[in-house]
Amino acid sequence: MNESKPQVVIVPCSGIGKSFGSVAREAGYELCDELRPNTTRLVALSKLVLGDEQARERVRRFPAITIDGCKLMCAAKLVKHNGGTVAREVAVLDAYRQHKELKPDGIAELNVEGKQLARVMAEEIAEVVDGLGRDASGGGDHA
Amino acid sequence: MALAATRPVEVTMPSLPERKVGIVACSGEELAEGTVTRLAALKVLHELRRGETVTICLPLFLAGGEGDRAFAKFHPTITVDGCDLKCAAHGTETYSGKPAASIVVSEIAAEHGIAGIEGRRCLNQAGQKAVALTAERLVALVDQLLGKRERPDAGASVETPAASSDSGVVGCSCGSGIPVKVLTIAGQSVEVVALPLIFDKLREAHGSSTGSVAQDLLEMVKVYNCVAPEAEAAWREVLVREFAAHCAGEVSK
Repeated sequence: MNESKPQVVIVPCSGIGKSFGSVAREAGYELCDELRPNTTRLVALSKLVLGDEQARERVRRFPAITIDGCKLMCAAKLVKHNGGTVAREVAVLDAYRQHKELKPDGIAELNVEGKQLARVMAEEIAEVVDGLGRDASGGGDHA
Repeated sequence: MALAATRPVEVTMPSLPERKVGIVACSGEELAEGTVTRLAALKVLHELRRGETVTICLPLFLAGGEGDRAFAKFHPTITVDGCDLKCAAHGTETYSGKPAASIVVSEIAAEHGIAGIEGRRCLNQAGQKAVALTAERLVALVDQLLGKRERPDAGASVETPAASSDSGVVGCSCGSGIPVKVLTIAGQSVEVVALPLIFDKLREAHGSSTGSVAQDLLEMVKVYNCVAPEAEAAWREVLVREFAAHCAGEVSK
């Protein structure tokens, strides 16, 4: 992560019981590894459970986008619990409602539709990341 | 005088709630070893010890309800961590209960001379080997906790989980959530793990009669909760009263 550029922390949920958790994880990787590797950083949710100081510092210093696989919204709750600011709460279920043709299946190995849903979500989140970057640098269309 | 032939009374003992081993993986998203924990746990849950193991998402200990936090008190739990931060082990112990056993992928890899685990999204060959070895270690520990083997070469000591702490039932994203109930026993507030489930089981077996249920009730409760011998009488009295109230509530529904 380039420290000189606007930073956005990405926190996917660690959902292990349903496909939606795997989609959240996959979307996080798609975004941070492929689409916006220079302006995003993945933070492990387990570190926020532990209260790891480095992870807490990151979510306090940078705006966070959380990606949750179920309505319990663990990622969003834990960022707030650790003093961070959630710039955008993304829910896989909402994305799926908008893309009913992409029904995820599988947990250890997501099906093709699940991976496509993750890709679509990552693309949408990338735009949010870009917007946060513009806001942070004082740019954009604002007069 | 001839004794009347008496038909032996058939006593149906209630079947205890099935005990399963809990597996909590750190699932650390930042490192490939975190992916190893997740895949190894899923392999055991879905393939190697299906039906004998359950899981919960680690963050639910903080983000979920009391029912989720009761997980490690209800199930003897094995934590699987990717690195020496041991988020799953420490998180479980802090918010739920002391794990029965804890393993760390980086330590297992070092023991077996596996280096270069990479690919948090798609594991390389070393990572896949680590998944297999970690799953193997988990299976040995699960079997040990279920009493299938006396002394497997599990590489981690197993401790009997202790008991105890609040109330409610929460459905969680991973299908877990343990029912608990808070009772006041001998003037103290006590969390009784699995009590609603036990009440249901006993009601199936005995009906609503509280007369014959007292000892079975206490024995079942002791499977999941620590009851000091000197406190058994007080527990029994409160449990029978609560069971009657539970049955009355069911009838009135």
